[in-house]
Amino acid sequence: MHTDSKTSLVLSDAPIGSLTGSPVKPDRLQELFKAYDPILSEISKLRGLDLSEVHPAVIFEPTAAYRRAR
Amino acid sequence: MISESMEWSSLREMSDGLTNRKFSSVELTQHLLDRIARHDQAIKSFIHISEHALTQARASDARRLRRNATLGPLDGIAVALKDNYLTADMPTTAGTSASGVTFATEDSACAQRLRAAGCVLLGKTRTHEFAWGATSPPVSNPWDIERIPGGSSGGSAASVAAGFVPLALGSDTGGSVRIPASFCGTVGIKPTFGRISRAGIVPHSWSLDHPGTLTRTVEDAAIAMTVLAGYDPRDPACQDQPVPDYTADVGRSIRGLRIGIIDNHFMDRNSPDVQNAVNASIDLLKRSGARTVHFSLPLLAFGLGAIYAIELASSGAYHDHAVNTGLSIGYQKDVRALVEMGRLVSAVDYLKAEQVRMLLCDEFRRIFDQVDVVITPTEPITAWHKGRDTVGIAGVDESVLAASWRLTYPFNLTGLPAISVPCGFDKEGMPIGLQIAGRPFDESTVLRCAAVVERLLNLKRRPAMS
Repeated sequence: MHTDSKTSLVLSDAPIGSLTGSPVKPDRLQELFKAYDPILSEISKLRGLDLSEVHPAVIFEPTAAYRRAR
Repeated sequence: MISESMEWSSLREMSDGLTNRKFSSVELTQHLLDRIARHDQAIKSFIHISEHALTQARASDARRLRRNATLGPLDGIAVALKDNYLTADMPTTAGTSASGVTFATEDSACAQRLRAAGCVLLGKTRTHEFAWGATSPPVSNPWDIERIPGGSSGGSAASVAAGFVPLALGSDTGGSVRIPASFCGTVGIKPTFGRISRAGIVPHSWSLDHPGTLTRTVEDAAIAMTVLAGYDPRDPACQDQPVPDYTADVGRSIRGLRIGIIDNHFMDRNSPDVQNAVNASIDLLKRSGARTVHFSLPLLAFGLGAIYAIELASSGAYHDHAVNTGLSIGYQKDVRALVEMGRLVSAVDYLKAEQVRMLLCDEFRRIFDQVDVVITPTEPITAWHKGRDTVGIAGVDESVLAASWRLTYPFNLTGLPAISVPCGFDKEGMPIGLQIAGRPFDESTVLRCAAVVERLLNLKRRPAMS
C-alpha cells in the first residue's frame, strides 16, 4: 500500500493481502480502499504528531486476571 | 384502574401507581403490549417481544402483595433491552441476520440486575447491526416515520419516545445512546466507562463501549442508574467505586454551577435551529445561577482520526474470525465494509490514536479543574430522512457517520459521563438534544444539571402517532 502526502490510496495488488493479513480478494480490497480513503485522511492527521513522550491510554494491568478470578 | 394515557407516565409515576395499588403490573404490562401491537408495525422498534412478560408481571404483583412492599422503584416496570444485551429467555441477534452467527442464551449483567430489581423484561429492541452505525434500519423515528431514529440504539430510543416502555437499555461506543436520544426527543445517559458492567453485551470496541439508558425523564435515568451501576469482576474495566443514590441530587439547585463551553468543534458548525436551542438553554441555566467559562480545545481536530483508528481496529479484531471464514459476507453492506477495514489500520496508527486519547483525557481534566460540567449540542442537526449517505451542515457535506458522532465521540474517547436531554424542536418539529458531560464518576452533577434544563424548558410535546 502506498500513500502519498495527501494519503489517497493507490492499490498495488501484490502484497496488500499478506501485509495486512486481509483475506478479502483484490477487487474487494479496491472497494474497501475507496471507502477507507476519507477515513484514512482523518487517521493520517495523527501521523504528523510527535507523541513520543505520551503514554498511550492503553495501560497493561497484570492484576486484572487475579481480580476476575476472585 | 389504568388510565388511557398511562404510556406517557414517567417510570416514577408508574412505580408510584404500582406501590399505591392504583393498577397492577399485569395491567400496566398488558397496556404497553397493546400499544406496541397497535403502533410498532410503523415504528419497528422491537425485534422480539417476550412471551414471558406477563408471567413476570404476575410474579411482581404476587410478590408485592405477599410482602406488602416493593423490591424498589423498578419492581413491576416494563423494560426493553437493546438486542446486543444477552438474555436467558429471549434470543439475541445484535442486529445481524448473517447465517452462522449466534449468541449465548444467558443473562447479561444488566439483565440480571433488572430482574433482581423486579423488572418485567418486555422485549429486545432493534440495533444497527453489531451497533456499528447511526441509522438503525428499519426503525423509524416516532416524530416522523420517514426519518431515522439515530443509532445504534435506535430501537431503544424509538420505543421510549413512542410510549412503549418507560426505560430501555442502550449501548454507546461513539454516541449510540445519546444520538438516538437526541433524534427521538428522549433522555439518554452514558455514564463513566467502568460505572456499569458490560458483561454480556456483544462487544463492539472494548475500550469505547458504554452501557447506558434511555428514558423520558431525567429522574427516571437516575432511578435506572442507581440500579444498574456497580462493580462486576466479569467486566475487566468495571471499577469498584461507591454507588450513590443518583436520584438524591435531581431537583437540587444549580446555583454556582460552573459550565464549560468549548467554542471550537462543539459550537462552530451546527444548524441554526440547534445552535439557537442550545444557546437558549445555556442562557436559562445562567439565569438560574450558573456561570459559563469558555475554552478552546484544538486537539479535537485529531479526535475523529483517533476514534476511527481505535473503533475500526477493535471491531476488526472482534470480527476477524467472521471475516476470515466468510461469515461477514452476510453482514449488511456498510457494516461489512467497516469490519473488513479493520485490517487496514496499522498498529502504529492505532497506538498513536491511544496516545492522542491520553492527551485528550489530560485536556478535559484541565477543563474540569475549572468547571463542573461541559455543555454542547448532542447533535449538530436533527434527524434526517432515511436513505441519505451524507448530510450538509453549515454548507459542508459530511458522511452520516461523521456527522452523527462528531459531538458525542469525545466523551467515549475520554470515558466521561454524558447525557442528552431534550432542549427544543427545529422548525419542522423534530427534537433537539443538549449534551451535558461531567467529571469521571460524577454522574450526579450531570443529572442535576439535566434535571434543571428539563424543568425550566418544561417541554410537553409528544410524537403525534396515528
